[in-house]
Amino acid sequence: MELLFWTSAALIAYVYLGYPLLLAAWARVAPRPPKKYQFPAGHWPSLSIILAARNESARLPVRIANLLTLPYDGPRELIVVSDGSTDGTAAAVAPFASRNEIRFVEVPAGGKPLALNAGVAIATGNILVFADARQRFTGAALSALVSNFADPQVGAATGELILDCESGSSASSIGDGVGTYWKYEKWLRRNESLVRSTLGATGAIYALRRSLWRPLPAGTLLDDVLAPMRAVLDGWRVVFEDQAIAMDRTAPDAAAEARRKRRTLAGNYQILAQEPRLLLPIVNPVWLQYMSHKVGRLLVPWALLALLVSSVALTSDGWLYSVALTAQVGFYALAAFGAWLEARDRQTGERFATKLPVAILGAPQGAPAGAERGTGSPRATA
Amino acid sequence: MVYRVARVAFTFVMMNLAAVTGLFSLRRGHEVWK
Repeated sequence: MELLFWTSAALIAYVYLGYPLLLAAWARVAPRPPKKYQFPAGHWPSLSIILAARNESARLPVRIANLLTLPYDGPRELIVVSDGSTDGTAAAVAPFASRNEIRFVEVPAGGKPLALNAGVAIATGNILVFADARQRFTGAALSALVSNFADPQVGAATGELILDCESGSSASSIGDGVGTYWKYEKWLRRNESLVRSTLGATGAIYALRRSLWRPLPAGTLLDDVLAPMRAVLDGWRVVFEDQAIAMDRTAPDAAAEARRKRRTLAGNYQILAQEPRLLLPIVNPVWLQYMSHKVGRLLVPWALLALLVSSVALTSDGWLYSVALTAQVGFYALAAFGAWLEARDRQTGERFATKLPVAILGAPQGAPAGAERGTGSPRATA
Repeated sequence: MVYRVARVAFTFVMMNLAAVTGLFSLRRGHEVWK
C-alpha cells in the first residue's frame, strides 16, 4: 500500500510538475527554433485550405470570406467539404461558386475523417491548411504558418487557438478553469515545439505538407493528432506557430466542456491503438514527451484514485499520510465548491460575487455573447 | 481568488473524470462527442 501511495504521488507530481520543469530546462538549454523564412513574392508555396463541415450553413459564408481574404502572396484554393449536411450548405456556398479558387464537395455523412480524405484527394496545393467552420483566422495566419515550411525538417505547423476565456471576456461559466488549463497546455506545446516537436496540432488551424498526408481511418476522433504524429514518426517536426491565430469561444458550460474533453481523451486512447509505434522509444522521436504529456494524462485519473485509496488505508501509519489525505479531501471539497459555483452561474446568468454576465443555456436572442446551447465544436481539440 | 481556484480545481477534476469516461465510451463505441 505504501508503494501504491508513493508511485501514484510520484506519477501525478511528474506529469504536472516534473515534466514541465524538465521541458522548460530542456527548451532553455537546447532550443531548436524552426528556420522560418518569408518567401519572396511569387515564391510562396501553393495552398489547399480544407474546410470540412456538417450543417454549418449559417457560419460558412463568413468563414469562407475570412479564408479567401486573408493576406497570402501565393496561390491558394479553398476546398469546402460538406459531410452529409442537411441544412442547405450547398446553397450557402453557391454565392462563391464563380470564384475559381473555391471547390465544393458533398459526401455522404461519414464523419470528419472521411470528409477530410475527400477534400485532400482533390487538393493540388503543396501545403494543406486545415480549418474549421467556427473559428476565424487573424490576418497573418496563413503566411505565418507557411513560413515554417522553409525549414526542410518541418512537416507540419500548428497555429495558436485563442479562446475568449483567456482574456476574461468569455460568457462561459467554465471560463476560469478552461482558460487556465489552455494557457498551461499552450505553454507545454510551445516548449515541446522548441525542443523538437509538438505532439499533435490544433484542429482549427494547422498545416501539413501534402506529401505527408495519409488517408485517415473512418471514425478517427483526433485527425489533428493522428496526421501530424504520423509525420513525426517518419522523422518530421511539427512546430507551434504563435503568429498564426484562430479565435474561438469557450464552451458555454461545464457539460459542453466535459463532452469535448471526453472526446479528446477517448481520441488519445484511440491513437494508441491506431499507432502503437508511439509507445516505442526506439521508433518515436518524441517518446519521452509523448509518454509524459499524453500517456501521463491518461494515467493520472487512476493515480488520483489510487492515491486517495492508499491514503485512507495508511492514515493511521504516519502523520504524512494523514496530511496527504487531508490535503486531498480539501482539494476535492474545493472542486465541489467550484462545481457549485459553475452551476449557480449557469442558473443565475451572473458570475458569482462579480455581477459579470454568464451565458444561460437556451437563452433567447439578445442574451450575452456566447449563449449557445452546448454546441462546442466537436472538432476542437486540446 | 478562492473562487477562481475552486473553478480551476473543478475543471481539473472534470478533465480527469473525462479521461475515465472517455475510455469507457470508446470501448462501448459511443459517439463520444454527441
